[in-house]
Amino acid sequence: MNSVVVGITLRQLLSRRRILLLFLLGVVMVLVALALRLGLDDVYWDLYTSRLLDNFGLATLMPLVALLFGTSTIGSELDEGTAVYILAKPISRSSILFAKLLVAIACSVAVTCIPMAFAGLVAGGDAALVIGFTVAGAFGSVVYCALFVFLSLVTGRALVIGLGYVLIWEGVLAGLFAGSRTFSVRQYSLSVADAVAEASAEVLEAPLPLTTALVMAGVVTVVATVLAWRRLSRVEIAGETA
Amino acid sequence: MTTVHGEAEHPADATATVALDGTSRWYGNVVAVNEVSFRLDGGITGLLGPNGAGKSTILHMIAGFLAPSSGTVTVGGHPARGHPEMYRHIGLVPEREAVYPFLTGLQFVTAMARLQGMAPAEAAAAAERAIGLVELTSAQGRPIGTYSKGMRQRAKVAAALVHEPRILLLDEPFNGMDPRQRLHMMDLLRRMAAEGRTILFSSHILEEVERIAEQVLVIVAGRLAASGHFREIRRLMTDRPHTFTIRSSDDRALAAGLVGDPTIGSLAVGDGLLTVGTNDFGAFSPSVAGVARRGGISIHELLPTDESLESVFSYLVRR
Repeated sequence: MNSVVVGITLRQLLSRRRILLLFLLGVVMVLVALALRLGLDDVYWDLYTSRLLDNFGLATLMPLVALLFGTSTIGSELDEGTAVYILAKPISRSSILFAKLLVAIACSVAVTCIPMAFAGLVAGGDAALVIGFTVAGAFGSVVYCALFVFLSLVTGRALVIGLGYVLIWEGVLAGLFAGSRTFSVRQYSLSVADAVAEASAEVLEAPLPLTTALVMAGVVTVVATVLAWRRLSRVEIAGETA
Repeated sequence: MTTVHGEAEHPADATATVALDGTSRWYGNVVAVNEVSFRLDGGITGLLGPNGAGKSTILHMIAGFLAPSSGTVTVGGHPARGHPEMYRHIGLVPEREAVYPFLTGLQFVTAMARLQGMAPAEAAAAAERAIGLVELTSAQGRPIGTYSKGMRQRAKVAAALVHEPRILLLDEPFNGMDPRQRLHMMDLLRRMAAEGRTILFSSHILEEVERIAEQVLVIVAGRLAASGHFREIRRLMTDRPHTFTIRSSDDRALAAGLVGDPTIGSLAVGDGLLTVGTNDFGAFSPSVAGVARRGGISIHELLPTDESLESVFSYLVRR
C-alpha cells in the first residue's frame, strides 16, 4: 500500500462538496433520534433505536456513504483523467487498489458510524445495542466499499447503477424472501448488530444466521476486491483525441 | 521499420529505446492506428498529424495505457503494457488538462516524485529543481486549481521530468503556453535530448514540430505516412502538386502566356478565376510574375487552394 496514494485520495475525497450532503444526512438521523426520544415513552426507546439504526443507518446512510466514497476513489479519477498520474508510476496495481480501498473504507466508516453512534445515544438506546449497530455499520461499510470500488472500475455509471441496487435490491427485494437475504449486505450487517448487541428478540432479531452472514460478507468482499484488482490491472486509458 | 536515432551528445542506453512493430489498434470497427512500425533511440521526435489521426493512441500505447490490437509495443526491450517498473524510465505529459486542483504545484510535483519511489527529502529537492526548470517557482505555493492553462501544462511537464526519465512522452505539450513559454520549453526539451534521452511529442502544428524535432513521424488516419528528418519531410511537402487560383486584369491572356511554361501542369479559366496546377512550387511564382509583366497584366490575387495541413497530410498518404 502506498502512503502517497492514500494522502492524495484522502484529500481528493474530502475536497468534494458532496461530502457535505452525507454529513447532512447524518445530522438528520440525529434529529430524528431526538424527536423519537422526546415523543416516546422510555420503554420504547430500545425498540425505536433499533428501528432507526436499521432503517436509517444500515439501510440508507451506510450504503449511500459507501457508494459515494467507493465510486469516487478510482472511478472518478479515471473519468476526470487524473488516474494517469498514479497509474504511470512504478507501483503495483494491488498497492494502488488497497490504498484506494482503505481510504474509501476509512471515510465511509467515519461518516457512517459516528452519526449512527450519536443518534443511538440521543434516541436513548441501550449502550450494547448502539455499539452493536455501530460495529455493524463499520462491517457493512467494508463490504459495500469493496463492491462499489469494483463497480466503478467496470462502468462509468457506477453511481446510478449503485443507487438503483441500494434502493431496489437492498431496500426492497432482499428483505422479502429468505433466499434473497443471503445476498444482502444490509442483512449481513444486521446479523453482526444482533450478535454484538445481544438484545432481546423484540428489539432486534436478525433473520440471517451470523455464520452465514460472516461467510457471505467475506466471500463478497474478497471476490469484489480480486475482480477490482484484475480490472485495474487491465484498465485502458485512451487519449482525448484517440 | 523506421529507425530514428538521436543526435545526442551522449549515446542513449537500452532503457531509452521505444519500438513499435506492425502495431495496430482498433476500437470496434474503427481503426485508430494501422500497422505502424518505428524505433526511437534517443533525440527529439515529433509525432505530427491532424487531430484524430491516432497520435494520442500511439503515445498511450507506448505509455502502457492501451494494449495494441495487433503487433508489439516495447519500451527498453520490454512490452509496454503490464510492466509498471518501466515507469521509472518514463515521464508522461498527457493531453488532458486534469490535475489535482487541491494540490499546490510543489505538492503535486513532490507527490509525483514520491510515487517514483524517492525518499521525502530527495523528492522535495527534485520537485524544486523540476519546478525551477519549467519556471513555475513563483507560483509553486498556489493550488493548481488557480493556475492558467499554460501554468498547468508546465506543472505537468515538471511532474513528468522530476525523476529524470530516459524517455519523455508529451501529448500536445505546447497547448496553452504563450510564445515565450513555448520557446523556453523547446529549449528545455532540446537540452534533455542532448543528454541522451528519447523525447517523443505529438503536435498538429507544423511550425512547432519544425522548430524542435530532429526527426518526424507523420501520422494520417492511423497510418505512418512519412518519417525521417524534418528537412526531408518538408521537401516532400513543398514539392507536391500545388493548385493556385489567380485573379488578374486579363485571365485569358495570362492563361495563354502560361500555357507553354514547363512549370504549369494544368490550366482552367472560368468564374472570373484562373486555376493553375503546378508541380514545381519554387519556379512557379517567378514564371507567373514574368508572364504578367511581359503581357502588361495586373495580378490582383494569387491564392493556394490546398494549403491546409490536412491536404498536405493527405498528399503524403497518397504517395
